[in-house]
Amino acid sequence: MFVARSIAADHKDLIHDVSFDFHGRRMATCSSDQSVKVWDKSESGDWHCTASWKTHSGSVWRVTWAHPEFGQVLASCSFDRTAAVWEEIVGESNDKLRGQSHWVKRTTLVDSRTSVTDVKFAPKHMGLMLATCSADGIVRIYEAPDVMNLSQWSLQHEVSCKLSCSCISWNPSSSRAHPPMIAVGSDDGSPNAMAKVQVFEYNENTRKYAKAETLMTVTDPVHDIAFAPNLGRSFHILAIATKDVRIFTLKPVRKELTSSGGPTKFEIQVVAQFDNHNSQVWRVSWNITGTVLASSGDDGCVRLWKANYMDNWKCTGILKGNGSPVSGSSQQGNANPSLGSNIPNLQHSLNGSSAGRCFFPPLDSPRAGWSRPSYAQLPPPPLVEHSCAADTASLQYPHPRRASLSRPLNPLPENEGV
Amino acid sequence: MEKMSRVTTALSGSALTGRTMHCHLDAPANAISVCRDAAQVVVAGRSIFKIYAIEEERFVEKLNLRVGRKPSLNLSCADVVWHQMDESLLATAATNGVVVTWNLGRPSRNKQDQLFTEHKRTVNKVCFHPTEAHVLLSGSQDGFMKCFDLRRKDSVSTFSGQSESVRDVQFSIRDYFTFASTFENGNVQLWDIRRPDRCERMFTAHNGPVFCCDWHPEDRGWLATGGRDKMVKVWDMTTHRAKEVHCVQTIASVARVKWRPECRHHLATCSMMVDHNIYVWDVRRPFVPAAMFEEHRDVTTGIAWRHPHDPSFLLSGSKDSTLCQHLFRDASQPVERANPEGLCYGLFGDLAFAAKESLVAVESGRKPYTGDRRHPIFFKKKVDPAAPFAGLASSALSVFEMEPGSGSMSWFVDTAERYALAGRPLAELCDHNAKVARELGRNQVAQTWTMLRIIYCSPGLVPGTNLSHSVGKGSSCGLPLMNSFNLKDVAPGLGSETRLDRSKGDTRSDTVLLDSSATLITNEDNEETEGSDVPADYLLCDVEGEDDELYLLDPEHTHSEEPEYVLPQEAFPLRHEIVDTPPGPEHLQDKADSPHVSGSEADAASLVPVDSSFSLISVSHALYDSRLPPDFFSALVCDMLRFYAEQGDVQMAVSVLVVLGERVRKDIDEQTQEHWYTSYIDLLQRFCLWNVSNQVVKLSTSRAISCLNQASTTLHVNCSHCKRPMSSRGWVCDRCHRCASMCAVCHHVVKGLFVWCQGCSHGGHLQHIMKWLEGSSHCPAGCGHLCEYS
Repeated sequence: MFVARSIAADHKDLIHDVSFDFHGRRMATCSSDQSVKVWDKSESGDWHCTASWKTHSGSVWRVTWAHPEFGQVLASCSFDRTAAVWEEIVGESNDKLRGQSHWVKRTTLVDSRTSVTDVKFAPKHMGLMLATCSADGIVRIYEAPDVMNLSQWSLQHEVSCKLSCSCISWNPSSSRAHPPMIAVGSDDGSPNAMAKVQVFEYNENTRKYAKAETLMTVTDPVHDIAFAPNLGRSFHILAIATKDVRIFTLKPVRKELTSSGGPTKFEIQVVAQFDNHNSQVWRVSWNITGTVLASSGDDGCVRLWKANYMDNWKCTGILKGNGSPVSGSSQQGNANPSLGSNIPNLQHSLNGSSAGRCFFPPLDSPRAGWSRPSYAQLPPPPLVEHSCAADTASLQYPHPRRASLSRPLNPLPENEGV
Repeated sequence: MEKMSRVTTALSGSALTGRTMHCHLDAPANAISVCRDAAQVVVAGRSIFKIYAIEEERFVEKLNLRVGRKPSLNLSCADVVWHQMDESLLATAATNGVVVTWNLGRPSRNKQDQLFTEHKRTVNKVCFHPTEAHVLLSGSQDGFMKCFDLRRKDSVSTFSGQSESVRDVQFSIRDYFTFASTFENGNVQLWDIRRPDRCERMFTAHNGPVFCCDWHPEDRGWLATGGRDKMVKVWDMTTHRAKEVHCVQTIASVARVKWRPECRHHLATCSMMVDHNIYVWDVRRPFVPAAMFEEHRDVTTGIAWRHPHDPSFLLSGSKDSTLCQHLFRDASQPVERANPEGLCYGLFGDLAFAAKESLVAVESGRKPYTGDRRHPIFFKKKVDPAAPFAGLASSALSVFEMEPGSGSMSWFVDTAERYALAGRPLAELCDHNAKVARELGRNQVAQTWTMLRIIYCSPGLVPGTNLSHSVGKGSSCGLPLMNSFNLKDVAPGLGSETRLDRSKGDTRSDTVLLDSSATLITNEDNEETEGSDVPADYLLCDVEGEDDELYLLDPEHTHSEEPEYVLPQEAFPLRHEIVDTPPGPEHLQDKADSPHVSGSEADAASLVPVDSSFSLISVSHALYDSRLPPDFFSALVCDMLRFYAEQGDVQMAVSVLVVLGERVRKDIDEQTQEHWYTSYIDLLQRFCLWNVSNQVVKLSTSRAISCLNQASTTLHVNCSHCKRPMSSRGWVCDRCHRCASMCAVCHHVVKGLFVWCQGCSHGGHLQHIMKWLEGSSHCPAGCGHLCEYS
């Protein structure tokens, strides 16, 4: 189902981040070798490096694209304590011949005194805004008041998190009912440090970002955090990469019930928690509809997670990181042609077809890491019962196809061990 | 071998012990130097000159060399150095240009030994000869280096750099007579101490001042230099021309550089501004520091390894008036914390994944082949096979692409392009969209469209073909038993209305209604329904009884009836290859409501008439007798839209919203609608579906949305002849009364879309130009320009 296309990145050190642009046709990579590369997809689907330039004097941790409405704009952040905004200059025709586009630095944001660990553009409806977070625990929000002038950025907010920050994520919701919101993760390793994920919300009255929530259950270092694309949902989905993959839902409690003017109250639920990576999880990324989560961990694998019709999150695929044997998934496709139309429908979340692909054997369900939230005030997630119900149901109604359904999963090393 | 023996001798007896610690000085330090015994350190600054003993747990002040009533400028030290052979001998460089030597063996309080006042400006650096006891070298801001013999009163020789200020001087460890000096203009010079007339060698090492240099303690041809250009460069001086072997990029100007003992490729640096940290770099991995010491709160001014053969203790002095001992094992390691992976989901479901090669290799290492193959390649690549460097890392970048048509987002694009949202009767729109959805294999969506048509279109309007179509479809996806029965039994017997209803039942729309109400009932009347755990036989219970029961049900029977509708949900996995609908309705109830309305009362409210099991019958009755007004369903439809939105299919929500228009709009609050619209439009724009996006904007009734394509629609044009702005019409100029834009191909006025080549500014009708360019790439106006259109 997936075809791996290996790209000779030719970075001289670790690549720390990959980022697709708004339309999915360009890709930017950044590396410890202090450079950023931009890749363009050709007609044939190959990725060509069209620009590579030295961006910082330290490791470049993150690179991110702005909405194309603001031009071809990238932001990068680095160990050298700066974040930078880059714009592509439409070259002369002889530039085109060389196939290299030209990126110029529009601004350097030098407010941080420590390594800038993440940079993210705000959702488009907020204008041209940029958030950075740094190892000294400060989230800074910049705004370019004139979108035509990318060299002028003013520092609008400084939010102190009191913990060394490692990642941030804007809530992408464009609803007027959802004030601007930003989630911050910390990789602070000190044992006494508390909850590692904080959610800040913009308050229209005070014109400040105020802490709306702290996810008390996340106490291990967080390496990545990502709000799912909202797409009209009334609640928010937040994925967290820590020692395991966790998915939270944040449901705003209706305004009438809360005191007006204060921060929105949320009903927070852990809807999934997986330690299948058996190690640190480094990255999480949502697909465009917010229905499939991809996570990558120290085991060098990418795992795909998806909720079935019961809102029960399951693994729907494992991709090997080196790209060569994507056997895991391709074998699945070949192994049961009988399921032909069902297998590929990863995206067809609505008919729940893919849920059938990945029924864990019943023994596996504790392993999947369903743990109840340890704090009492939240109702235990209903999914525990559901998952059991689903599994027992599948046992009670043995179906000739059941065997062939669970079979394709077994090539994956994880399940072999069970 | 030789090295090893040296190490053992040097560290014989007592290995160094200690911990990371610091002590407060009275004043900022400018430089530090360690005694040969590794137990004492001297700290010098503008107003400090002290010797501290390094004990296990702390620093102890041992001696204050700053004696005398009136502070002399001679005591304002820029640099200090402790003789590496004579434990009682020190030299300082004063900011007033004086070089002072100190003899700790003097009995008096004042240990000052000799005073050389030969330099005219600040002396930046002093350096003892590593093996010769009496030779001292100094480098000054005045551009001169002087060599002193401590047995004489004045300098032995003076070296003129012939360039700007000297920042550092260092005797070579390799050659007895050689020393290196660095200059503010970026040059490094190599001198023979016997030849003061000119330097042996000179090369430009850095862009801007070279602040420091250090000879490699073992690899004696190597010289490390650090400059204001934030770089540390390692030069191989053994070759004829100095060759740059390594280059480390730091984040701030490099003030000090010191090779780490016993670690061939490590060096420590500190900066003179901005950055307060001390970094230890592995020169083979020049981008990421191997270790980082973050203790200082101000600029670090002096660093020194405590013992020439112990790599784990580093001493440092800082402008923040502290003296620190850093233990290497306590250093923070940016490499460890650095994220080794990058992952991004693309628009079309493709995944870009970059991972540290070793992580990926662990996986493939399980396969014997890959493991065997790796090593030879690994060694072949290495220039220096003696030291395969494990720390050097690179990442593998790959893009996992969805096979076209399999799971990519093509369904979204297809759906968006093919859906009909307006311009036709509702029934046709629904049918069309249902067809589109079905062709794309999205059965649930197709069902929904069919249901909507049935709900909102009066049966009289439904053409017979459609009806039979839906019945036929129903048979393809409903329970075969049920269908065959119904088709032959019910359809002929009943009128068109009932047939419609039947078909509804088959296509599960009926099931939706009954289901939802049924589940509701279970929720509410659970006490009296204790018997809801019905044997599974009901799955295929006698369907033929259904019609009668629907009429004749009493409450008890209703519940026995109920499992028939509920069970398909449980049995869902059995049948889901055939049709995926059953989970939908249940899901709809479960999920769509929860965020908005709390609990099942709301459900009851949304289905006002349905209030007990009787209502189930009344629903059925109503369907048969007369028709329910579409309003009756609107709450349900709204819930369905919400359900789709929560599921991430905002496309469905918006499409239904647009198609149904007023019928459902009033039941969904403006804000939610707007949210759906903006989300969908954003998604369409991501896929470059500009036309669809514009259509959606146009069809939306929300004011905030429909104004989206009203902004920036004005185009200002100037006349191509008189260069004045054209006000009224775009194609004829009011002033010069000429037509501004003539088509170069047909020589008529272009009133609409005008394309032109930006090179020669000739152009015309889009169609004409396109046609012209198929045949020739030259300008149609005959100007000879090779036109370029993007």
